[in-house]
Amino acid sequence: MNCDQLRDHYDLFALDIAEQPERDEIRAHLNRTCEVCTSGVKRSLETAALIGAAAPPAQPSSQLRRRILASVGGQERSSRGLNWWAPVLAMTALAIVAVYLAIGSRQYAQAADRLRDQVRGQAAQIGRLTQAFAILSGSRTIEASFGGAQPKPPQGKVFVNPSRGVLLIASNLPRTPADKIYEMWIIPKTAKPVPAGLFQSQDDGNAMHVQPGTVDVPSTAAIAVTVENQAGAGQPTTQPLIVASLAATPR
Amino acid sequence: MMLPLILAVYASSDERALIGRLQRRDPQALADLYDRYGRAAYSLVLRVVHDKSIAEDLVQETFLRVWNRVHSIDSEKGSIGPWLLAIARNRAIDYLRSSAGRERNAVELNETDHAPLYREMETDILISDQARRVKAALDKLAPNYKTVMELAYFEGLSQSEMSVRMGQPLGTIKTWVRTALQSLRDELGVAVSP
Repeated sequence: MNCDQLRDHYDLFALDIAEQPERDEIRAHLNRTCEVCTSGVKRSLETAALIGAAAPPAQPSSQLRRRILASVGGQERSSRGLNWWAPVLAMTALAIVAVYLAIGSRQYAQAADRLRDQVRGQAAQIGRLTQAFAILSGSRTIEASFGGAQPKPPQGKVFVNPSRGVLLIASNLPRTPADKIYEMWIIPKTAKPVPAGLFQSQDDGNAMHVQPGTVDVPSTAAIAVTVENQAGAGQPTTQPLIVASLAATPR
Repeated sequence: MMLPLILAVYASSDERALIGRLQRRDPQALADLYDRYGRAAYSLVLRVVHDKSIAEDLVQETFLRVWNRVHSIDSEKGSIGPWLLAIARNRAIDYLRSSAGRERNAVELNETDHAPLYREMETDILISDQARRVKAALDKLAPNYKTVMELAYFEGLSQSEMSVRMGQPLGTIKTWVRTALQSLRDELGVAVSP
Protein backbone atom coordinates (compact mmCIF):
# COMPACT_ATOMS: atom_id res chain seq x y z
CA MET A 1 0.00 0.00 0.00
CA ASN A 2 1.21 3.50 -0.64
CA CYS A 3 1.36 6.39 1.80
CA ASP A 4 -1.84 7.98 0.49
CA GLN A 5 -3.77 4.81 1.24
CA LEU A 6 -2.33 4.68 4.75
CA ARG A 7 -2.86 8.34 5.62
CA ASP A 8 -6.34 7.77 7.12
CA HIS A 9 -5.00 5.07 9.41
CA TYR A 10 -2.21 7.00 11.17
CA ASP A 11 -4.49 8.07 14.03
CA LEU A 12 -5.82 4.54 14.45
CA PHE A 13 -2.26 3.23 14.49
CA ALA A 14 -1.25 5.76 17.15
CA LEU A 15 -4.23 4.66 19.24
CA ASP A 16 -3.36 0.96 18.75
CA ILE A 17 -6.65 0.24 17.01
CA ALA A 18 -5.49 0.07 13.40
CA GLU A 19 -6.53 -3.15 11.75
CA GLN A 20 -4.82 -5.39 9.25
CA PRO A 21 -3.44 -5.07 6.67
CA GLU A 22 -2.97 -1.35 7.35
CA ARG A 23 -1.23 -1.94 10.68
CA ASP A 24 1.50 -4.11 9.16
CA GLU A 25 1.78 -1.78 6.18
CA ILE A 26 2.35 1.27 8.38
CA ARG A 27 4.83 -0.69 10.46
CA ALA A 28 6.70 -1.62 7.29
CA HIS A 29 6.80 2.01 6.17
CA LEU A 30 8.13 3.08 9.57
CA ASN A 31 10.75 0.36 9.55
CA ARG A 32 12.10 1.64 6.27
CA THR A 33 11.96 5.20 7.67
CA CYS A 34 9.39 6.39 5.14
CA GLU A 35 9.37 10.16 5.63
CA VAL A 36 5.68 10.61 4.84
CA CYS A 37 4.44 7.92 7.22
CA THR A 38 6.94 8.77 9.96
CA SER A 39 5.80 12.38 9.87
CA GLY A 40 2.13 11.41 9.81
CA VAL A 41 2.40 8.91 12.65
CA LYS A 42 4.40 11.41 14.69
CA ARG A 43 1.61 13.94 14.27
CA SER A 44 -0.93 11.36 15.37
CA LEU A 45 1.18 10.48 18.40
CA GLU A 46 1.14 14.15 19.35
CA THR A 47 -2.65 14.10 19.20
CA ALA A 48 -2.67 10.93 21.31
CA ALA A 49 -0.40 12.59 23.89
CA LEU A 50 -2.83 15.48 24.10
CA ILE A 51 -5.72 13.11 24.72
CA GLY A 52 -3.68 11.53 27.51
CA ALA A 53 -3.24 14.94 29.11
CA ALA A 54 -7.02 15.22 29.27
CA ALA A 55 -7.28 12.51 31.93
CA PRO A 56 -8.81 13.79 35.20
CA PRO A 57 -6.00 14.98 37.49
CA ALA A 58 -5.12 12.59 40.31
CA GLN A 59 -2.48 12.58 43.01
CA PRO A 60 -0.26 9.52 43.58
CA SER A 61 0.84 8.59 47.09
CA SER A 62 4.04 10.11 48.43
CA GLN A 63 5.56 6.61 48.55
CA LEU A 64 5.52 6.24 44.79
CA ARG A 65 8.32 8.73 44.21
CA ARG A 66 10.44 6.99 46.84
CA ARG A 67 9.77 3.56 45.37
CA ILE A 68 10.80 4.68 41.91
CA LEU A 69 13.99 6.33 43.14
CA ALA A 70 14.92 3.37 45.33
CA SER A 71 14.61 1.02 42.39
CA VAL A 72 17.45 2.81 40.59
CA GLY A 73 19.53 3.72 43.61
CA GLY A 74 18.31 7.28 44.04
CA GLN A 75 17.17 8.81 47.32
CA GLU A 76 14.62 11.36 48.49
CA ARG A 77 15.76 14.93 49.01
CA SER A 78 13.27 15.31 51.84
CA SER A 79 13.28 13.23 55.00
CA ARG A 80 9.60 12.33 54.95
CA GLY A 81 8.88 8.68 55.66
CA LEU A 82 12.39 7.32 56.13
CA ASN A 83 12.99 3.74 55.05
CA TRP A 84 14.52 1.16 57.38
CA TRP A 85 17.88 1.58 55.74
CA ALA A 86 17.83 5.33 56.08
CA PRO A 87 19.88 5.35 59.34
CA VAL A 88 22.67 3.51 57.55
CA LEU A 89 22.66 6.07 54.78
CA ALA A 90 22.46 8.91 57.28
CA MET A 91 25.47 7.62 59.20
CA THR A 92 27.46 7.24 56.03
CA ALA A 93 26.45 10.73 54.96
CA LEU A 94 27.55 12.07 58.34
CA ALA A 95 30.89 10.37 57.87
CA ILE A 96 31.22 12.09 54.51
CA VAL A 97 30.43 15.46 56.08
CA ALA A 98 32.94 14.80 58.88
CA VAL A 99 35.61 14.06 56.33
CA TYR A 100 34.82 17.35 54.61
CA LEU A 101 34.89 19.39 57.81
CA ALA A 102 37.98 17.82 59.35
CA ILE A 103 40.23 17.75 56.41
CA GLY A 104 38.82 19.77 53.57
CA SER A 105 41.61 18.89 51.24
CA ARG A 106 41.06 17.93 47.69
CA GLN A 107 42.35 14.46 48.33
CA TYR A 108 39.68 13.82 50.93
CA ALA A 109 37.01 15.45 48.84
CA GLN A 110 37.77 12.78 46.27
CA ALA A 111 37.48 10.17 48.98
CA ALA A 112 34.10 11.64 49.90
CA ASP A 113 33.02 11.35 46.28
CA ARG A 114 33.98 7.71 46.30
CA LEU A 115 32.03 7.18 49.51
CA ARG A 116 29.03 8.93 48.01
CA ASP A 117 29.21 6.64 45.00
CA GLN A 118 29.41 3.66 47.32
CA VAL A 119 26.33 4.84 49.20
CA ARG A 120 24.49 5.31 45.96
CA GLY A 121 25.54 1.88 44.78
CA GLN A 122 24.50 0.31 48.07
CA ALA A 123 21.12 2.01 47.91
CA ALA A 124 20.64 0.68 44.38
CA GLN A 125 21.59 -2.77 45.56
CA ILE A 126 19.15 -2.52 48.49
CA GLY A 127 16.42 -1.50 46.06
CA ARG A 128 17.09 -4.47 43.82
CA LEU A 129 17.31 -6.87 46.75
CA THR A 130 14.05 -5.55 48.16
CA GLN A 131 12.33 -6.18 44.84
CA ALA A 132 13.96 -9.62 44.57
CA PHE A 133 12.85 -10.54 48.07
CA ALA A 134 9.30 -9.41 47.30
CA ILE A 135 9.21 -11.76 44.32
CA LEU A 136 10.84 -14.67 46.15
CA SER A 137 8.48 -14.35 49.09
CA GLY A 138 5.31 -13.95 47.03
CA SER A 139 2.77 -16.70 47.60
CA ARG A 140 1.94 -16.85 43.90
CA THR A 141 5.57 -16.98 42.74
CA ILE A 142 6.54 -19.82 40.42
CA GLU A 143 10.07 -20.82 39.47
CA ALA A 144 11.80 -22.46 36.54
CA SER A 145 15.37 -23.65 36.03
CA PHE A 146 17.53 -23.35 32.93
CA GLY A 147 20.86 -24.51 31.59
CA GLY A 148 21.07 -27.99 33.02
CA ALA A 149 21.63 -29.90 29.80
CA GLN A 150 24.43 -27.94 28.17
CA PRO A 151 28.16 -28.68 28.58
CA LYS A 152 29.20 -25.29 30.03
CA PRO A 153 25.95 -23.43 30.24
CA PRO A 154 24.68 -20.34 31.90
CA GLN A 155 22.72 -21.88 34.74
CA GLY A 156 20.19 -20.57 37.16
CA LYS A 157 16.55 -19.95 37.90
CA VAL A 158 13.80 -17.50 37.14
CA PHE A 159 11.07 -16.60 39.60
CA VAL A 160 7.85 -15.13 38.24
CA ASN A 161 5.16 -13.44 40.30
CA PRO A 162 2.00 -12.18 38.55
CA SER A 163 1.87 -8.89 40.45
CA ARG A 164 5.52 -8.34 41.42
CA GLY A 165 7.54 -9.20 38.33
CA VAL A 166 10.36 -11.47 37.25
CA LEU A 167 13.62 -12.28 39.05
CA LEU A 168 16.46 -13.95 37.17
CA ILE A 169 19.50 -15.40 38.94
CA ALA A 170 22.21 -16.79 36.66
CA SER A 171 25.79 -18.01 36.80
CA ASN A 172 28.38 -18.98 34.16
CA LEU A 173 27.38 -16.03 31.99
CA PRO A 174 30.10 -15.15 29.46
CA ARG A 175 31.35 -11.57 29.45
CA THR A 176 29.57 -9.53 26.77
CA PRO A 177 31.56 -7.47 24.23
CA ALA A 178 32.10 -3.82 25.22
CA ASP A 179 29.17 -2.49 23.20
CA LYS A 180 26.74 -5.27 24.14
CA ILE A 181 24.44 -5.97 27.04
CA TYR A 182 22.12 -8.74 28.19
CA GLU A 183 18.40 -8.20 27.65
CA MET A 184 15.71 -10.29 29.32
CA TRP A 185 12.45 -11.12 27.51
CA ILE A 186 9.03 -12.31 28.58
CA ILE A 187 7.90 -14.71 25.86
CA PRO A 188 4.10 -14.90 25.54
CA LYS A 189 2.57 -18.06 24.13
CA THR A 190 0.87 -16.31 21.23
CA ALA A 191 2.58 -12.97 20.79
CA LYS A 192 5.98 -11.47 20.25
CA PRO A 193 8.57 -11.29 23.05
CA VAL A 194 8.17 -8.37 25.45
CA PRO A 195 11.39 -6.62 26.58
CA ALA A 196 12.02 -7.06 30.31
CA GLY A 197 15.07 -4.96 31.08
CA LEU A 198 18.80 -4.79 30.49
CA PHE A 199 21.58 -6.07 32.73
CA GLN A 200 25.25 -6.99 32.84
CA SER A 201 26.94 -9.94 34.52
CA GLN A 202 29.60 -9.52 37.16
CA ASP A 203 33.23 -10.42 36.50
CA ASP A 204 32.67 -13.89 37.96
CA GLY A 205 29.82 -14.57 35.49
CA ASN A 206 27.03 -14.19 38.04
CA ALA A 207 24.03 -11.93 37.52
CA MET A 208 20.79 -11.03 39.22
CA HIS A 209 18.17 -9.09 37.30
CA VAL A 210 14.76 -7.92 38.48
CA GLN A 211 11.99 -6.69 36.22
CA PRO A 212 9.24 -5.33 38.46
CA GLY A 213 5.64 -5.11 37.29
CA THR A 214 2.77 -7.33 36.42
CA VAL A 215 3.14 -10.57 34.46
CA ASP A 216 0.32 -12.49 32.84
CA VAL A 217 1.70 -15.87 33.94
CA PRO A 218 -0.87 -18.17 32.27
CA SER A 219 -0.15 -16.65 28.86
CA THR A 220 3.63 -16.64 29.33
CA ALA A 221 5.59 -19.48 27.72
CA ALA A 222 9.11 -18.67 28.85
CA ILE A 223 11.65 -16.17 30.10
CA ALA A 224 14.64 -15.69 27.81
CA VAL A 225 17.87 -13.70 27.63
CA THR A 226 19.71 -12.48 24.54
CA VAL A 227 22.78 -10.34 23.91
CA GLU A 228 21.84 -6.97 22.40
CA ASN A 229 23.34 -3.58 21.65
CA GLN A 230 23.80 -1.26 24.62
CA ALA A 231 20.50 0.58 24.04
CA GLY A 232 18.58 -2.69 24.05
CA ALA A 233 16.24 -3.91 21.33
CA GLY A 234 12.51 -3.91 20.73
CA GLN A 235 12.65 -7.53 19.65
CA PRO A 236 15.41 -10.14 20.07
CA THR A 237 18.11 -9.87 17.40
CA THR A 238 20.25 -12.83 18.53
CA GLN A 239 19.66 -16.42 19.53
CA PRO A 240 18.67 -16.66 23.21
CA LEU A 241 21.47 -17.55 25.58
CA ILE A 242 18.95 -18.52 28.24
CA VAL A 243 15.47 -19.95 27.87
CA ALA A 244 13.56 -20.85 31.01
CA SER A 245 10.31 -22.53 30.02
CA LEU A 246 7.32 -22.00 32.27
CA ALA A 247 5.32 -24.66 30.45
CA ALA A 248 6.00 -27.49 32.91
CA THR A 249 5.89 -25.28 35.98
CA PRO A 250 2.92 -25.81 38.33
CA ARG A 251 0.66 -22.77 38.43
CA MET B 1 -9.28 21.85 36.70
CA MET B 2 -6.81 21.17 33.94
CA LEU B 3 -4.22 23.63 35.13
CA PRO B 4 -2.46 21.40 37.70
CA LEU B 5 -2.17 18.67 35.16
CA ILE B 6 -0.91 21.03 32.54
CA LEU B 7 1.68 22.34 34.97
CA ALA B 8 2.59 18.80 35.92
CA VAL B 9 3.54 18.02 32.37
CA TYR B 10 5.33 21.30 31.87
CA ALA B 11 8.41 20.65 29.80
CA SER B 12 10.90 23.44 30.23
CA SER B 13 13.80 24.35 28.02
CA ASP B 14 16.14 22.15 30.07
CA GLU B 15 14.43 19.00 28.83
CA ARG B 16 17.46 18.18 26.72
CA ALA B 17 19.73 18.52 29.74
CA LEU B 18 17.40 16.24 31.67
CA ILE B 19 17.62 13.57 28.98
CA GLY B 20 21.40 13.89 29.05
CA ARG B 21 21.49 13.42 32.82
CA LEU B 22 19.22 10.39 32.56
CA GLN B 23 21.53 8.92 29.94
CA ARG B 24 24.44 9.44 32.34
CA ARG B 25 22.48 7.37 34.89
CA ASP B 26 22.02 10.20 37.38
CA PRO B 27 19.30 8.99 39.81
CA GLN B 28 18.46 12.58 40.71
CA ALA B 29 17.51 13.11 37.07
CA LEU B 30 14.89 10.40 37.49
CA ALA B 31 13.58 12.29 40.51
CA ASP B 32 13.32 15.43 38.39
CA LEU B 33 11.61 13.47 35.63
CA TYR B 34 9.12 12.12 38.14
CA ASP B 35 8.46 15.59 39.56
CA ARG B 36 7.73 16.80 36.05
CA TYR B 37 5.66 13.96 34.65
CA GLY B 38 4.78 11.65 37.56
CA ARG B 39 1.40 13.14 38.29
CA ALA B 40 0.40 13.27 34.66
CA ALA B 41 1.42 9.65 34.13
CA TYR B 42 -0.42 8.56 37.27
CA SER B 43 -3.58 10.47 36.28
CA LEU B 44 -3.55 8.82 32.87
CA VAL B 45 -2.91 5.32 34.18
CA LEU B 46 -5.50 5.65 36.95
CA ARG B 47 -8.05 6.74 34.36
CA VAL B 48 -7.36 3.47 32.52
CA VAL B 49 -7.12 0.92 35.35
CA HIS B 50 -9.33 2.57 38.04
CA ASP B 51 -7.20 1.10 40.85
CA LYS B 52 -4.76 3.28 42.79
CA SER B 53 -2.41 0.49 43.83
CA ILE B 54 -2.17 -1.01 40.36
CA ALA B 55 -1.80 2.46 38.86
CA GLU B 56 1.21 3.14 41.09
CA ASP B 57 2.79 -0.21 40.14
CA LEU B 58 2.35 0.60 36.46
CA VAL B 59 3.72 4.13 36.84
CA GLN B 60 6.78 2.72 38.60
CA GLU B 61 7.18 0.25 35.76
CA THR B 62 6.87 3.11 33.28
CA PHE B 63 9.62 5.17 34.87
CA LEU B 64 11.92 2.16 35.10
CA ARG B 65 11.28 1.43 31.46
CA VAL B 66 12.19 4.99 30.53
CA TRP B 67 15.29 4.73 32.74
CA ASN B 68 16.37 1.52 30.99
CA ARG B 69 15.63 2.77 27.49
CA VAL B 70 16.52 6.44 27.64
CA HIS B 71 19.60 5.86 25.51
CA SER B 72 17.33 5.36 22.53
CA ILE B 73 16.29 9.03 22.72
CA ASP B 74 18.36 11.62 20.90
CA SER B 75 19.02 14.21 23.60
CA GLU B 76 19.19 16.95 20.97
CA LYS B 77 15.91 16.08 19.28
CA GLY B 78 13.96 13.79 21.54
CA SER B 79 10.81 14.57 23.49
CA ILE B 80 10.65 12.56 26.65
CA GLY B 81 7.27 13.71 27.99
CA PRO B 82 5.00 12.49 25.20
CA TRP B 83 7.12 9.31 24.98
CA LEU B 84 6.75 8.65 28.69
CA LEU B 85 2.98 9.20 28.61
CA ALA B 86 2.68 6.86 25.64
CA ILE B 87 4.57 4.17 27.52
CA ALA B 88 2.42 4.76 30.61
CA ARG B 89 -0.75 4.47 28.61
CA ASN B 90 0.40 1.29 26.89
CA ARG B 91 1.50 -0.34 30.15
CA ALA B 92 -1.97 0.40 31.51
CA ILE B 93 -3.78 -0.86 28.42
CA ASP B 94 -1.59 -3.96 28.39
CA TYR B 95 -2.52 -4.61 32.00
CA LEU B 96 -6.19 -4.13 31.20
CA ARG B 97 -5.97 -6.58 28.32
CA SER B 98 -4.15 -9.15 30.43
CA SER B 99 -6.51 -8.93 33.36
CA ALA B 100 -9.54 -9.18 31.09
CA GLY B 101 -8.12 -12.19 29.28
CA ARG B 102 -7.83 -10.21 26.08
CA GLU B 103 -4.89 -10.66 23.76
CA ARG B 104 -1.87 -8.68 24.83
CA ASN B 105 -0.78 -6.26 22.21
CA ALA B 106 2.97 -6.51 22.58
CA VAL B 107 3.62 -5.40 19.02
CA GLU B 108 2.00 -2.03 19.46
CA LEU B 109 3.54 -1.71 22.89
CA ASN B 110 6.98 -1.92 21.39
CA GLU B 111 6.15 0.43 18.56
CA THR B 112 4.92 3.14 20.86
CA ASP B 113 8.01 2.57 22.96
CA HIS B 114 9.95 3.37 19.81
CA ALA B 115 11.65 6.54 20.96
CA PRO B 116 12.79 7.86 17.55
CA LEU B 117 9.14 8.49 16.63
CA TYR B 118 9.17 11.13 19.35
CA ARG B 119 12.07 13.00 17.79
CA GLU B 120 11.55 16.70 17.23
CA MET B 121 8.09 16.54 18.73
CA GLU B 122 7.15 19.78 20.40
CA THR B 123 8.22 19.38 24.00
CA ASP B 124 5.61 21.86 25.12
CA ILE B 125 2.61 20.38 23.35
CA LEU B 126 1.39 19.23 26.73
CA ILE B 127 1.64 22.65 28.35
CA SER B 128 0.24 24.86 25.68
CA ASP B 129 -3.37 25.87 25.83
CA GLN B 130 -3.94 23.09 23.31
CA ALA B 131 -3.85 20.64 26.20
CA ARG B 132 -6.74 22.53 27.69
CA ARG B 133 -8.48 22.65 24.36
CA VAL B 134 -8.28 18.90 23.91
CA LYS B 135 -10.58 18.33 26.86
CA ALA B 136 -12.97 20.93 25.52
CA ALA B 137 -12.76 19.26 22.11
CA LEU B 138 -13.53 15.86 23.62
CA ASP B 139 -16.44 17.34 25.55
CA LYS B 140 -17.77 18.88 22.36
CA LEU B 141 -17.99 15.54 20.57
CA ALA B 142 -21.38 13.94 20.14
CA PRO B 143 -21.91 11.26 22.85
CA ASN B 144 -21.29 8.32 20.53
CA TYR B 145 -18.13 9.89 19.14
CA LYS B 146 -16.84 10.69 22.60
CA THR B 147 -17.57 7.15 23.75
CA VAL B 148 -15.61 5.53 20.94
CA MET B 149 -12.65 7.84 21.60
CA GLU B 150 -12.65 6.98 25.28
CA LEU B 151 -13.04 3.27 24.59
CA ALA B 152 -10.12 3.44 22.19
CA TYR B 153 -7.79 5.61 24.21
CA PHE B 154 -8.58 4.74 27.81
CA GLU B 155 -9.69 1.11 27.40
CA GLY B 156 -7.63 0.09 24.37
CA LEU B 157 -10.58 -1.51 22.60
CA SER B 158 -10.21 -2.36 18.94
CA GLN B 159 -12.97 -1.24 16.61
CA SER B 160 -14.30 -4.81 16.53
CA GLU B 161 -14.39 -4.92 20.33
CA MET B 162 -16.17 -1.56 20.39
CA SER B 163 -18.71 -2.97 17.98
CA VAL B 164 -19.52 -5.78 20.41
CA ARG B 165 -19.46 -3.50 23.46
CA MET B 166 -21.76 -0.91 21.94
CA GLY B 167 -23.93 -3.34 20.00
CA GLN B 168 -23.38 -1.50 16.76
CA PRO B 169 -22.24 -2.77 13.34
CA LEU B 170 -18.51 -2.59 12.77
CA GLY B 171 -19.02 -0.23 9.84
CA THR B 172 -20.91 2.19 12.07
CA ILE B 173 -18.14 2.08 14.67
CA LYS B 174 -15.52 2.76 12.01
CA THR B 175 -17.50 5.75 10.80
CA TRP B 176 -17.87 7.11 14.32
CA VAL B 177 -14.16 6.66 15.02
CA ARG B 178 -13.16 8.34 11.77
CA THR B 179 -15.57 11.23 12.33
CA ALA B 180 -14.51 11.65 15.96
CA LEU B 181 -10.84 11.73 15.03
CA GLN B 182 -11.50 14.21 12.24
CA SER B 183 -13.47 16.44 14.61
CA LEU B 184 -10.67 16.30 17.15
CA ARG B 185 -8.11 17.03 14.48
CA ASP B 186 -10.13 20.02 13.33
CA GLU B 187 -10.30 21.32 16.88
CA LEU B 188 -6.64 20.64 17.53
CA GLY B 189 -5.41 21.60 14.11
CA VAL B 190 -3.24 24.35 15.50
CA ALA B 191 -1.81 22.09 18.17
CA VAL B 192 -0.23 19.57 15.90
CA SER B 193 2.39 20.32 13.34
CA PRO B 194 1.35 20.13 9.70
